[in-house]
Amino acid sequence: MFSSLHKGLSVKFALTITAVVAGVAFTIGAVIVTLDWQRFHRELENRALLLAHSIAVTAPEDILQSDFWSLYKSLKIMANKVPGGTQDTHILTGMILDTDGIVLAHLDPNNNPLGIPPVHSSEIETQLFAQAREVRTPTILNSGVGNGGFLEGVAPIYSDEKLLGIVRVRLSKRELYLKAQRSTFIIIGLTLALVALGSLLGTAISRRITMPLSAMTEGMEAVGRGEFSNIKPIPVGNDDELGILASAFNKMAKEMAEKKSLEEQIAVSEKLVALGRISAGVAHEVNNPLAGLMNCIDTLKKHPEDPELVERYLPLLDKGLNRIKNIVESLLVELRIEEAHSTDSSSSLDDLRDIVESEINGRDIDFVWDNHLGTEVMINKRRVQQIVLNLLKNSIQALHDKGTVVFRTFQDGNCIILEVSDNGPGIPPENRKQLFDPFFTTKKNGTGLGLWIVYRLVESMRGVIEVESEVGNGTQFQVTLPAMEVST
Amino acid sequence: MLHLSIFLYASTVNGARADDLEVARSDVPIRFGLTAVVVRENLRFLDQWAYYLSKKMGQPVEFVRRRSYREVMDMLKSGSLDFAWICGFPYVQNRDPEFIKMLSVPVYKGSPLYHSFIIVPKDSPYQSLDDLKGKTFAYSDPESNSGYLYPQYLLAQKGTNKESFFRQTFFTFNHAETVEAVAEQFADGGAVDSYIWEYLQEFRPELAEKTRVINQSPVFGFPPLVSRLGVDLETVWRMKRVIKGMDEDPDGRKFLNGLKLDSFGESPDSIFKNIREMAQKIRTGNPLDGSTASNENANTIKRQ
Repeated sequence: MFSSLHKGLSVKFALTITAVVAGVAFTIGAVIVTLDWQRFHRELENRALLLAHSIAVTAPEDILQSDFWSLYKSLKIMANKVPGGTQDTHILTGMILDTDGIVLAHLDPNNNPLGIPPVHSSEIETQLFAQAREVRTPTILNSGVGNGGFLEGVAPIYSDEKLLGIVRVRLSKRELYLKAQRSTFIIIGLTLALVALGSLLGTAISRRITMPLSAMTEGMEAVGRGEFSNIKPIPVGNDDELGILASAFNKMAKEMAEKKSLEEQIAVSEKLVALGRISAGVAHEVNNPLAGLMNCIDTLKKHPEDPELVERYLPLLDKGLNRIKNIVESLLVELRIEEAHSTDSSSSLDDLRDIVESEINGRDIDFVWDNHLGTEVMINKRRVQQIVLNLLKNSIQALHDKGTVVFRTFQDGNCIILEVSDNGPGIPPENRKQLFDPFFTTKKNGTGLGLWIVYRLVESMRGVIEVESEVGNGTQFQVTLPAMEVST
Repeated sequence: MLHLSIFLYASTVNGARADDLEVARSDVPIRFGLTAVVVRENLRFLDQWAYYLSKKMGQPVEFVRRRSYREVMDMLKSGSLDFAWICGFPYVQNRDPEFIKMLSVPVYKGSPLYHSFIIVPKDSPYQSLDDLKGKTFAYSDPESNSGYLYPQYLLAQKGTNKESFFRQTFFTFNHAETVEAVAEQFADGGAVDSYIWEYLQEFRPELAEKTRVINQSPVFGFPPLVSRLGVDLETVWRMKRVIKGMDEDPDGRKFLNGLKLDSFGESPDSIFKNIREMAQKIRTGNPLDGSTASNENANTIKRQ
């Protein structure tokens, strides 16, 4: 579970940071490529204009003197040395036309001879020719998009304000695409590098965040299992929020471990106290009859021949020894019941009714028996019977001569509920704490073991026992037992 | 004289003595005019040749290049050139008063003669001058024999209108560039000096090989070297001796080889007879009368 949390968060962090870096890098890259494209386009336009203009400036003399060879040579020389051109600059064609559109010089003289209009291989060429002839100031004509596209710089040739002709110079846009391609590759490379860096950074950051979290999760689970002493301290990195959290967790874990060990010490001493109390109780309970029994035996030793004494003391001896036997049996009740594994239908509880009736023994006590458990519900007969019987006996004894005792049992979900209530005098607050202590009793002849046995049995079945009592209004015991435990 | 006076003035200013005059004379550069006849691009060759001539003459020799024959002729007339390598056509023109004198005629392939070639792009369909009607045509110089006079004469002989036979004509003012214009198909045809065309075949074959000769003229007197009449006879004599002696020493032969010439010799004025006749026919506008500019005449000259 920790590893999935660890991976989940670290992957999410890393992915988020990578995505953000990639997004930013791509956006910036796209902007740069667009700006580059525009700049290159402007540069190419300027170059075409400059070239056309330079040729136009030198042309008039040759045109006026019909020196076509000179004109052609300057056109050729200029075209071979495009101002600001690079090795990628590619001049597609160039021409000088007179005012009638007749070729005075053309870079492709074979197909466009001197003295006739240039050849138009397409509709676009015809349109461009018409547009170019209208040009009176240096102008750029654009062929449109595509790798085969071109920019045409057109410049009029003037001499003394008289129009002599026009220069048309056509530069390929290939250079533009090559440059854009190059810068795109560079941007993509940079972006990928940034993305890689971003993901490394993301991984590092997420590890830094999730590692203490994973350690804390592990620690929390150890707390959940109650293994306070097993919690490894989380390494505290920086004094940021995570560091503070980690040190707080470490502090908490340490305090919990200390508390746990303190509780264990208390539990040990409480056990010792309880053991002492039980030992004292046993000693006291056994000692009381023992003193009488020793007396009887002494007297019988002194007068072995007196049958009257034997007749008088034997029942006393019997009674005293029985009392000791009962005490010992009660103390061993758990052992006894453990030995007897007896599952039976819940209707077997009804056997108790007679025992309770005989306990009431004709006194003015109303006894209500209300068993709602289905016969299919299986119970551990001996244990449950013992719990119910002890609680009922307790209630009946509390009522003295008059009152009502109600027993009710039913199933609530996965639990079996046993309820015993009476309208007796209730339990005084000062006694409530010791209610389930062994040998604690308010009755003259009580052993003080009844409720202690109930407590031990309920505990052994992982149940809960609750007591509600109001002085003068009665008491209700409610035992909730898990159905699973009840049946075994 | 002009140069001398300028120098005198300068030496006076510097306080020089009158005896310096003799030394000064030898320091005044001899100005030698060149035109389209030679390949102008090879600057280093011309510099070395000028250096050679200077050494031989004991006086600096300077080559002065001008684009057209007209400019060179004007400079000769005005005295700013002492010698020049011109063409047969300007040589035969009437001048009053005459201001030049023949110095030497180069010997090319054993004779002081050459042709005019009508050339077309190698892959073009043109086979004769008639095929070039309505096409573009490159002349070299309006005062060139092989590059202008001869084709004009041919057209005149045909009885066609010289001005409208071709759709468009232009001057390149350099035979080599005429070859270039035709090679690049900027011109459909052109007229060039056979010497230059053959020279290019050797030194710039990639250019010459793109052209093809469709018409070869009868032989004409090779473009001559002339001196200005005002130049003192001693200098002219020395120049003639140096030029003519070039084939006798290794350095001189090196330059002759560079020019693809055998030597600079002396030839009678009569080798320019047919050029003179063509010029006259063109001038009088009666070319049909020009049967004298015939091969017979040329052959006669060649037999000399």
